[in-house]
Amino acid sequence: MTIQSTTGGAAAETAAPWALSLTDVSVTYPNGTRALKNVSVHIEPGEIVSIVGLSGSGKSTLIRTINGLVPVTSGWVTAGGHDVTRARGRALRELRGHVGMIFQGFNLADRVSVLDNVLVGRFAHTPTIRTVLGLNRAADRELALRALDSVGMLEKVWTRAGALSGGQKQRVAIARALSQEPSVMLADEPVASLDPPTAHAVMNDLARTSSERGLTVLINIHLMDLARQYTQRMIGLRDGELVYDGPAAEATDADFEQIYGRPIQGRDRLGSV
Amino acid sequence: MVVALCAFTALTCWPAIGGVEIDLAGLVRNWSNGADKIAQLLRPDLTFLPRTVAPMLETLAMAVAGAAFAAIISIPLTLAAARPSNPNPLTRQLVRFCINVNRAVPDLVFATVLVAMVGVGTLPGFLTLFLFDLGVVVKLVSEAVDSADHPYLEAGTAAGGTQAQINRATVLPQSWPLFANQWLYSLELNVRISAILGIVGAGGIGRLLDERRGFFAYDDVSVIILEILVVVVVIEVISNALRRRLR
Ligand SMILES: Nc1ncnc2c1ncn2[C@@H]1O[C@H](COP(=O)(O)OP(=O)(O)OP(=O)(O)O)[C@@H](O)[C@H]1O
Ligand SMILES: [Mg+2]
Repeated sequence: MTIQSTTGGAAAETAAPWALSLTDVSVTYPNGTRALKNVSVHIEPGEIVSIVGLSGSGKSTLIRTINGLVPVTSGWVTAGGHDVTRARGRALRELRGHVGMIFQGFNLADRVSVLDNVLVGRFAHTPTIRTVLGLNRAADRELALRALDSVGMLEKVWTRAGALSGGQKQRVAIARALSQEPSVMLADEPVASLDPPTAHAVMNDLARTSSERGLTVLINIHLMDLARQYTQRMIGLRDGELVYDGPAAEATDADFEQIYGRPIQGRDRLGSV
Repeated sequence: MVVALCAFTALTCWPAIGGVEIDLAGLVRNWSNGADKIAQLLRPDLTFLPRTVAPMLETLAMAVAGAAFAAIISIPLTLAAARPSNPNPLTRQLVRFCINVNRAVPDLVFATVLVAMVGVGTLPGFLTLFLFDLGVVVKLVSEAVDSADHPYLEAGTAAGGTQAQINRATVLPQSWPLFANQWLYSLELNVRISAILGIVGAGGIGRLLDERRGFFAYDDVSVIILEILVVVVVIEVISNALRRRLR
């Protein structure tokens, strides 16, 4: 599909994209909410997939079962052939090290420098004692700087994350995920708190860096035009059930109405810039 | 609310129900005696000032050393006592329990017991302040950490970090202002408390104060009290200025 970038043999090796598969996955939260109901889906290595659905349909829950942030109640989740459902402790942390994640609220440490925020992405590859003593390896810093460079944030390395604009914060968060040299990228509403031009710019960065590295990408998104424009395949969720699975570019308005269970509204589109 | 409080106060003072007896008549009876002392207090003997310098420095040393050691030890204990930095309920509750026990002991009791254990001097004073500060800082900062937002925790977990990595690289730098604020506050408290600690034998200016009071040298006592007042105010001004810069 995409040509692997030429950033060194080791990087290319660790960044080989993973296949993801959910088999009959259900999630019931402790308060009794059934957020996912018997969802089965297989995602090929390197695919860029959007997950659409109304608020509360289970998009965040689905994406969080893949790195084990939300434990499944029943069913199996595998990532790159590893059983996420049964991974614990060190094995789970190592697995998470291969899965980058970005969030709607950026989830940066505001008082911490951009560089140190990006170095969070190296946690799984760094002995705890090194982090605790503040002894970051030069190779890790190098990776962090390269990740920042690829999203155009290199001049801001020493800035406090809290002093950045929303779009800049999300770029730093993307760099944090990229510095993991991940095999999978999960994005939970990555542009929902950004204005339209910034949203497009960040989606561009996300799609470009991911395809450069040949990552498997899962993006939760509620805007149909962004889903069509930036992803290849679309999965629709309604009330925790999988109700659509097909090519994103060809998804019709009728398909969206079926996923949303209501007519298309203005706020379902971002609109052109 | 206020009425209830007044009623409660009045009731606890009522001798018939075994309340505390507050002999207001005594205030009037001993008035002339008291007035004498007050007159003496109003005439501080400033020639006594040089003799107070060494004990005052001792007090300040106790206050600073106690606050500094408590500050260092408070870091790991606070992280262990706060939920975002320690998800394990067992160790978290254990640390919280120890801190609550520590805080339940009045500082003068600590000082008295420690004087009995390690002897008269600045050591029991330092230890008392250290324990007192540790309780204050760990309790207040861990509660502030609990109630703050920590969106970066999820990112650290998602990146495969251990709790120790997440704490060191993100929770701690995010919490420095909370820590620094309480460290400075504990230093302020120390200067005030250490002035009294001397009374039970824990060194510093308090011991001199107790000695002069024993000799009924109220003009000297007056000098000491004024000096404590000045030092407390100076420390407070400095610490307030520092705290404003933290924000
Ligand atoms: N930690 C939780 N505890 C209990 N219920 C939860 C929890 N997280 C989500 N839910 C519930 O599970 C359902 C699915 O939530 P989820 O966050 O996956 O939806 P979503 O599609 O991401 O919605 P949104 O677009 O608003 O982010 C909702 O009904 C939600 O209230
Ligand atoms: Mg969500």
